[in-house]
Amino acid sequence: MENTIEQIREDALAELANASSVDEIKALSVKYVGRKGRITLFLRNISSLPKELRPSAGQEANLIKQLVEERIKEALQRIEGSDLNSTDYIDVSLPGRAAIPGILHPISQINQQISNIFKRLGFDIAEGPEIETDYYNFEALNFPKNHPARDMQDTFFVSDDIVLRTHTSPLQIRIMEKKHPPIRVIMPGKVYRCDSDLTHTPMFHQVEGLVVDKNIGFSDLKGVLTTLVHQIFDEEISLRFRPSFFPFTEPSAEVDILCVICRGKGCRVCSQTGWLEVLGSGMVHPAVFENVNYDTSQYSGFAFGMGVERIAMLKYGIDDLRKFFENDFRFLRQF
Amino acid sequence: MKFSLSWLKEYIPIEMTPSDLVEGLTMIGLEVDSISDRYAYLDSVLIGRIVEITPHPNAEKLKICLVDIGTETLTIVCGAPNATVGMITACALPGTVFPGGKVLEKGLICNQESFGMLCSEAELGIGSDSDGIVSLPSDVDVGQKLASALKLSDMVFEVDLTPNRPDCLGIIGIAREIAAMQGSSLKYPGIDAFCAGSSISEYTSVEIKNPDLCPRYSAGLLSGISVGPSPFWLQDRLLSIGLRPINNLVDVTNFVMMETGQPLHAFDFDTLSEKRIVVRAAEKGEIFTTLDNKERNLLPGMLLICDAEKPIALAGVMGGVNSEISQKTVNVLIESACFQPSSIRKTSKTLGLNTDASYRFERGVDPRGTVFALKRAALLIKEVAGGQIVAGVVDAHPIPVAEQVIAMSTKNTNRLLGTNLDQETMSIHLKSIDFSVKKINEDILEVTVPTFRVDVSRHEDIVEEVARLSGYNNIPTTFPLIPAAIKPLYKQITIKDRIKDLLIGFGFTEAINYSFIKRSAVDQLRLRPEDSRRCVVEILNPLSEDQAVMRTSLIPGLLDTMHRNISWQTKNLKLFEIGRVFLNTQRKNIQPHEIEYLSCLWTGKRVENSWHGSNLDCDFYDLKGVAEGLLKALRLEGIQFTALPSENCCYHKSGHAASIYAAGELVGTIGEVHHEVLSNYNLKQTAFIMELDLDLLITRIPGNKTYKPLPKYPPVSRDITIVVDHGIEVQSVIETLEKMDEKILENAELFDVYVGENIPEKKKSLSLRLTYRSTERTLEDDAVNKIHSKISRMLIKTFSATLP
Ligand SMILES: [Zn+2]
Repeated sequence: MENTIEQIREDALAELANASSVDEIKALSVKYVGRKGRITLFLRNISSLPKELRPSAGQEANLIKQLVEERIKEALQRIEGSDLNSTDYIDVSLPGRAAIPGILHPISQINQQISNIFKRLGFDIAEGPEIETDYYNFEALNFPKNHPARDMQDTFFVSDDIVLRTHTSPLQIRIMEKKHPPIRVIMPGKVYRCDSDLTHTPMFHQVEGLVVDKNIGFSDLKGVLTTLVHQIFDEEISLRFRPSFFPFTEPSAEVDILCVICRGKGCRVCSQTGWLEVLGSGMVHPAVFENVNYDTSQYSGFAFGMGVERIAMLKYGIDDLRKFFENDFRFLRQF
Repeated sequence: MKFSLSWLKEYIPIEMTPSDLVEGLTMIGLEVDSISDRYAYLDSVLIGRIVEITPHPNAEKLKICLVDIGTETLTIVCGAPNATVGMITACALPGTVFPGGKVLEKGLICNQESFGMLCSEAELGIGSDSDGIVSLPSDVDVGQKLASALKLSDMVFEVDLTPNRPDCLGIIGIAREIAAMQGSSLKYPGIDAFCAGSSISEYTSVEIKNPDLCPRYSAGLLSGISVGPSPFWLQDRLLSIGLRPINNLVDVTNFVMMETGQPLHAFDFDTLSEKRIVVRAAEKGEIFTTLDNKERNLLPGMLLICDAEKPIALAGVMGGVNSEISQKTVNVLIESACFQPSSIRKTSKTLGLNTDASYRFERGVDPRGTVFALKRAALLIKEVAGGQIVAGVVDAHPIPVAEQVIAMSTKNTNRLLGTNLDQETMSIHLKSIDFSVKKINEDILEVTVPTFRVDVSRHEDIVEEVARLSGYNNIPTTFPLIPAAIKPLYKQITIKDRIKDLLIGFGFTEAINYSFIKRSAVDQLRLRPEDSRRCVVEILNPLSEDQAVMRTSLIPGLLDTMHRNISWQTKNLKLFEIGRVFLNTQRKNIQPHEIEYLSCLWTGKRVENSWHGSNLDCDFYDLKGVAEGLLKALRLEGIQFTALPSENCCYHKSGHAASIYAAGELVGTIGEVHHEVLSNYNLKQTAFIMELDLDLLITRIPGNKTYKPLPKYPPVSRDITIVVDHGIEVQSVIETLEKMDEKILENAELFDVYVGENIPEKKKSLSLRLTYRSTERTLEDDAVNKIHSKISRMLIKTFSATLP
C-alpha cells in the first residue's frame, strides 16, 4: 500500500515543505518526477491496474504530478528568493565611482549666507568697481582731502586720484546717483588696504548695506543688524551698539556682538572683554546725501559694513586670516 | 590717548570702579583699548632687610650685602653710602624693568656675583631721592612687594580716540565726558595767579602773515628761569603715561598739552632776532633744521614760525635747533597757537614727521583754549623753574572763531533716532557736556556748540550727542517699513551663483587669490609684447614685489595655487576662480577697465585614485567637457571650439588649445598649459586651463525659455563611416551637414574616431550616426536611404573622403 498515489502525494508534499536548500529540492524533484521518480513509475505502471480503474487513476496521478511540479517550483522560488544561501553578492563596502563635488570657498559661503538673509528681507544686491576714484572712495563719502579720517584706512594708490577701494562704501554713492529712494541694497565685494600681518591681509571682503527712505531711523538700523547677527550666529548672541566715528555716517555706531566663543565670559579671541567688534554702521551723513542730490529734509537712511573674513573666522573657528588666500585643498575641503 | 586714574582725579572725583569706568567710556564713544597697573613694573621689587655687610674685595666703594627677602637671603653688591645692617629697603630681583627701560640682570659686579639690586626712589620711579637706597620704617614686613608696602596704586587707561574727538586729546576733555556720565562737575586748574597787564608788549610782538593758516597765536614770556630737572610730581605724571621727562621747561609744556590738549612750544627768547615772532608760509627752496637735528627741505606753503630773520619752528609740527631750550636758557617765550588742521597735516605727511603736536593740530584744537593753556603753563614754569612771568600775553587773533549756533528740532531728532525723548531730557544731556541750550519753542532748541567741539557743525552732529549721552542701547529696536516692490539692479550676481553651483557639481573647488600679482607674471605667461594684458595697473605703494601690480589674468593666481598645493602633496586639482582682471586704460587718473573672468584649472588624475580600473590623467577633452556642460547649462547657443592658431598660443601649448565661441562671440579660451609656462612656475605636471569672459558671456544668455512640442513620429538612424585626411576637424564635417539644411536630418553625432590598422597614414576614419525624423509622418526606409546616400556622396566629395 505504500505506493498508493495518495501516499506518494503525502510524502512528496511533506518532504518539499521541509526542504531547505536548492540541492535538496533538486533531489526531491528527481525522486518524485524524475525519469525514475515515484510518480513517473506510478504512471508507467497504470497499465497493470484493472482496466476500469485505469482512467481515474491516470487522471489523478497526472494531477498530482502537476501539483508536485508546481510545489517544486514554489520551493525553489522560496529558497532562492530568501537569498539565504545565495553566493551571488557584491562588496558594497567598496567605494563608488567618484562623483566628488567641489567646494565653494568659505568666503563665498558666508557671502551667500549673508546675501540670502538680506534677500529674504527684500534687499537688492549690487557690485561695483574695485579700483575707484578718490571722489567715490573718499570725497563723496565726506572724507575731505588732508583729513585725519583718511588715516583710518591705509590706502593703496594707483595715482593721485585713483585708489584700490578701501571699502565697499563707494557703491553707496554709485547706487544713489542712479536710483531714487526707497533703496535697500547690499554690496558685497573685495576691498584693499595697505596692511599685512596676522590679523590683516592686503585684500579682504566686505558686505556693505544701505537703506534709504522717508522716516528711516537709528532704531531701524538696530533692528536690521540684530536680525542679521541672529541669523548668522544664533538668537542668544546679543548686540551692543556704541558711539563711533565714520565720516559718512552721523550718528555712527560700532556694533559689538557677544563673544561667540566664550559667550561673554572672556577669552583670548575677545581679549577678555566678552565682546567682539563685527560691524560699523550709522545713519547716512547729510553731506553724503547732498553729494547725490537727495533731499535731506525728506530722506534719511542707514548704512553698515562688515568684514566677511572676520565672520568666517568666528563661525568656523579659523585662527589665521592668511589661510583664506592660500587655497590649500586640505583647508578648503573642510567647508 | 593715555591717562592715569590719579591724574584724572585732579579734575573730577571718580566714584566708579575702573571696570565701570572702562565700560562707561566705551559706551559714550571713547573706546578704552587697554587698562593697566601703573606699578606693574614693580612686581619683582620686594621689601628686604640687610642682615650683613662685608666690604667688596675688589672695589673700595662697593659693599657686599646679605639681604633677607623673606623666602631667602640674597647676596647683593651695593654702592649706596646709606646702606646699614638692619635697614629695611627695596630689593629689585633680576628681570625688573626700570622706568628708564633698563632691565636688571643677575651679574658680576667687579668679579662679585650679585643676585639683585638695592634701589633708590629715583631708580624705582617712586620718588626724587637718588642719593641713597630706600629706607623704610623697621615695622614694614620683609618679603612683601614694595608696591603693596607703600600702597602704590594707580591705573593707566588707553583710549582709542576716533579722529573726530580732538577735544579728548587732553585729560580735561576726558574728565568732561566722565562728568557728564556721573552728573558731577569739573574742576579746572586755577590760572587766576597769572599777572594781568601788558608789559609783555614792550618786549615782543607777534605778526601773522597767513591768518588763514594761523587764526590765533598767543605768546607769553618768562624771565630769569633756571632750566633743570623737573620735580618728582611732574616727572611722575609724565612717566605714568609713558612720556620721558626732559627738563622742567619742556616737561611743563608736555604736561599742559596732555592736560588741555593744547600743544605748546617753548623758545629760548634770547636766540630770537629782534625778539619777535613772525608767522608765515615757507618760500621755495627754504631749508630748516628741526629739533631732531634733521635738515628739512620745505615746500612753499608750509607754515613757519620765524623771528625777524629766520624760521625758528615748523609750525605745529616741531621746533628748531636754533631756538631750542638749553641749560643756559634764562628767558623763554611760550607759544600757544591754533593752526589750520589740513595745512599741518599736509606738512607732517609730506615730511613724514608725526609729533604729539601735529597729531592734535591736524585734528583741531580749541581756538578759544590758547590763552588758558598759556597761562597754566607760565604759572607751572614759574613754580618748577623759578623766574618771573612778564605781565600779560600777546594774543594775535586775526580771525576770531565764532561759536556755532544750531537750531535743533526735537521732532527730527526723535525721527532720526526712532526715539521718543522729550525736549527737557535732550537739553539736560547737551548741557552736561558744556553746550548751551536755549528753548525757542516746543520743538526747537537753540544749541551753542563750545569751540573745543570742532566736530560738531550740523544738526545730525547734535543728534549724535543726544544719542550717545542717552545711550545707544536705550534706543528701541524696530524694522524699516519699505514697500515690497523689487527692481533688481544687477542680475549677473544670480547667474554667477548659478555658475559656481554648476562648477561645484562638476567637482571644481573655488579658489580666491589676491588681485595683485608680481610684475614679471606677464613674462611668465609668455604674453606677446603687443598683448593688452601687459598693460598692468601698477600700485604706487605696494607691500611687496610679489604684489606690485593688479592682475590682468586669473591664470597666474591659479598656477601659484597649483604650485602651493603640489608642494603640500595635493596633486590632483580641479580649481576655479571668479574674479576681476584689470586692464590699464593708459590714461592718467582714469579708472582701469575691469572685467570679471571665470578661470578653471584641471591637473592630475581624471578621478581621484580608485579601484575602478585604470586611472588616467586628465586631458583636454575632460576640461572641454566641463566647458560644454557649463555653457549648455547656461543655455548659450552656437557654442564652438576652434583651434587657437600657433601664433596666438602664448601660455597655451601650440596645437592643444582652442578659442571658445558662444552666440557668435569669442568668449574665452581653453587648452593645455605651455611647458615653458609650467617651468616658470616650477611645475612638473601638466595642467589644462579655461578662461571665460563672464561679463560678455552673461549678456549672451538667452532670457526666456520656450517649450518645443515633443516629436510625434519615430526617428530612423543610419551610420556612415568615412576616411578623411588627418587634419580635417570633425566640427567642419558636422557644420557641412548642418548647412545642407536637409529637413529630415535631425541630428548628426560622432561616435568613433579611428586611426591605425587598415587606415592609411595621415588619414583617420570618422563614424557618424545620422538621425532622420519627419514632423509629419513616419519615415519609410526608401525615403531615408535616398537622402542618406545623397548625404554620403556629398561628404565624400566635400572632404575627398573614401569609404573604409
Ligand atoms: Zn571670548
